[in-house]
Amino acid sequence: MDSSVIINKNIVKEFDLTKKLSTYKDILSEFSKISAKIKSNLKSKCIVEDKIDPRLFEQNQFICHGYAWFETYRISLEHTFNWFNDLCISGESSKLEELVLASAFSEYSLQMRDGIMMSQSEIIRPLKNLDLDPSDFNFLNSKETKELINYGLTEEVKFGIVDFLDKGQFPKLGLKDETLEMIQDQFKKFTDDEIIPHAHEWHLKDELIPDETLKQMADLGVFSIAIPEEFGGLGMGKTAMCVVTEELSRGFLAAGSLGTRAEIAGELIRLGGTEDQKKKYLPKIATGEILTTAVFTEPNTGSDLGSLSTRATKSGDDYIINGNKTWITHGARSDLMTVLARTDSNQKGYRGLSMFLVEKPRGNCQNPFPMEGMSGGEIEVLGYRGMKEYEIALDNIKVSKADLLGEKEGQGFKQLMETFESARIQTAARAVGVAQSALELSLQYSKDRSQFGKEIINFSRIASKLAWMAVETTISRQITLFSAREKDNDIRCDIEAGMAKLLAAKVAWSNADSALQIHGGNGYALEYPISRVLCDARILNIFEGAAEIQAQIVIKGLLGK
Amino acid sequence: MKILVCVKRVIDYNVKIRVKSDKTGVEKDNVKMSMNPFDEIAVEEAVKMKENEIAKEIVVVSIGTEACKETIRSGLAMGADRGIHINSDEDLEPLNISKILMKIVENEKPDIVLMGKQAIDDDSNQTGQMLAALSGFSQATFASKVEKVDSFLNVTREIDGGLETLKLSLPCIITTDLRLNEPRYASLPNIMKARQKKIDSIDVSTLGLDLSPRLSVIEVNDPPERKAGIMVKDIDELMEKLTNEAKVI
Ligand SMILES: Cc1cc2nc3c(=O)[nH]c(=O)nc-3n(C[C@H](O)[C@H](O)[C@H](O)COP(=O)(O)OP(=O)(O)OC[C@H]3O[C@@H](n4cnc5c(N)ncnc54)[C@H](O)[C@@H]3O)c2cc1C
Repeated sequence: MDSSVIINKNIVKEFDLTKKLSTYKDILSEFSKISAKIKSNLKSKCIVEDKIDPRLFEQNQFICHGYAWFETYRISLEHTFNWFNDLCISGESSKLEELVLASAFSEYSLQMRDGIMMSQSEIIRPLKNLDLDPSDFNFLNSKETKELINYGLTEEVKFGIVDFLDKGQFPKLGLKDETLEMIQDQFKKFTDDEIIPHAHEWHLKDELIPDETLKQMADLGVFSIAIPEEFGGLGMGKTAMCVVTEELSRGFLAAGSLGTRAEIAGELIRLGGTEDQKKKYLPKIATGEILTTAVFTEPNTGSDLGSLSTRATKSGDDYIINGNKTWITHGARSDLMTVLARTDSNQKGYRGLSMFLVEKPRGNCQNPFPMEGMSGGEIEVLGYRGMKEYEIALDNIKVSKADLLGEKEGQGFKQLMETFESARIQTAARAVGVAQSALELSLQYSKDRSQFGKEIINFSRIASKLAWMAVETTISRQITLFSAREKDNDIRCDIEAGMAKLLAAKVAWSNADSALQIHGGNGYALEYPISRVLCDARILNIFEGAAEIQAQIVIKGLLGK
Repeated sequence: MKILVCVKRVIDYNVKIRVKSDKTGVEKDNVKMSMNPFDEIAVEEAVKMKENEIAKEIVVVSIGTEACKETIRSGLAMGADRGIHINSDEDLEPLNISKILMKIVENEKPDIVLMGKQAIDDDSNQTGQMLAALSGFSQATFASKVEKVDSFLNVTREIDGGLETLKLSLPCIITTDLRLNEPRYASLPNIMKARQKKIDSIDVSTLGLDLSPRLSVIEVNDPPERKAGIMVKDIDELMEKLTNEAKVI
């Protein structure tokens, strides 16, 4: 960076945040009081006889989702604080992490008072929408707090962060474990050497990720992370899964998403399958010999999966499946489908659904479904390329009772729900990877591009985008890692996992947008990888629970508590 | 056969180096560290020899602070069997490192010692040669190919103007060059296995060596900043500047 950029390094030096941690703690505890107040307001609006009243809940959807976002910010901030605190304790924190913490607190605290963008066009304003009183936020005006909040908004903090980024130093991940650090290191290398140099070409040519790359990933153990050791996996848990997923997604979203399929099918079978089903499939999923695909969505049922209409009709010891599925990622080059279908036509809702393990011959681009009764076509997409999406018609597909997951009817939706926590955490990690790639691409561009006689990284408006990308990537990474650790400790974390997915997907999109802006016109050229990252980032707000549905899940959890 | 691989913990090659403001050295606090890339090549070569059943055991040794254990652990994750960590907080110069390694060689009695031809931090390119002198082992530096032929190792080295092949008797010391191989990524299963492998820690003071420094660093400076170019009028001016100013002709 140009040393002529006017920043007062003394301000940055003088402010030793490690001495102000108690003030941050106070801010957090004040916000938790406010949270309790909002919650009790909302409960009085939506809860009748200890239950969420569906009609009232729907009438108050906007403000309820607003509270879900408020809580997402609050909890994420709390874990960003813990991240920094832990780094201080282990002696690993540097000035960069301090600056990131300062910026995070200032920006999020003020947004939690003045307005949070739930989407590009919907702002929740706690003072207006959530029945709060300005005096609730008086703590932000106390001398100590105000000083801290103002500090986090200064040009010094912003340029301070960018100065570190410019020198190649990114905020510490805070993995707190030597093995995880080694995993991160290896997958970073793998991604830098084997994924990033090819990702954009795969995207532009709209090709499947090559079989050889798949094989390399399988050899590294990507598909075996979550499979228990007794079934040939590594039984490593979600934190390791997050570390691997973030790195691979930083290179190419589809690379980080290959593991998602193994994760979904693996979890379905691990949690819901019979011993025979586990023995039959888990070891092969772990080695990558079997590639799986998740077959849930239908043309008329997306978010409202419970009402799907594909039928599995019993015929002797067999079931005959008929129906139309759509948006099936990696539908062709896969060997095993997990199909959600209705076994009980008298039950219109989720209770009538069952999950089937349907084997299929592996197809390719020319002949996607080489199987009788199965046909379909590719859905062309903006981004998220590398696996391809398909619509698939299932016409009298016969499976046996042994292919019914757990050999129990009516459990399909429940079995799927049990995997949601993991899937959300994994998707949040994918989003963090995409967010990081947007930051890295635009950082490089801002150093290479000069206008008005200097590299554009030196302009305040470019620096604020870069610094904020680094800050928000860190915040979303910390809530993601927190959920993963809870899950690894067998602690229920559905709410936090939902928050992580909600926030990380938003951050991926906002980073991609800022990063493209930094590229100027070149960002709009297909030739530049940021154009791909923008398209890739957009999907994260849609699948694995669209942002609105994710907020709905979070708020239901919060009000139910 | 037993192979001893020496690995050094250095600032990661991706990091932009910063000189300390007091010019006594470079900034190492909070900087990402990794295994010296040439040493990674040495580990890879050893692991390949084990896969090809030329070697039975691979021992990784590193000298330095407690954090060097991480570097050893990455060697174990690539496929080495056990580690030795010589604990020292001092910045040791190549001769002293060689003396310490000599002690390890005496204890472990390896048939082959593999290490990088140089470390990317100080670029000394001395340790292998000094250890060869201290031990009296045969040596081959800058190896780009290693082959076992009967009870000898044929080592191809890249030299000015071509390739030279040396036939070494064992025990020997080989220092590795870039083209020898491409180090593997440690797979998740191997990273997990590495956690169970043993690393012995030895404090340098217990070795009874005279490690007093013979070199002292006077000052460390950033490379000079590149100045903007100038336009020359014609060939004559260019020739004049090349001859008298740049003095390259
Ligand atoms: C690239 C891609 C890959 C995919 N891969 C797979 C796959 O492998 N397997 C699979 O089964 N599915 C897959 N899907 C499908 C995905 O899960 C669905 O798109 C998603 O669940 C949303 O459903 P929908 O598209 O039908 O949208 P809809 O449910 O029709 O929603 C439309 C909009 O309405 C909002 N909305 C819906 N209900 C409510 C409500 N109650 N309150 C407020 N807002 C609401 C949604 O948030 C959304 O903004 C994929 C989709 C895409 C785009």
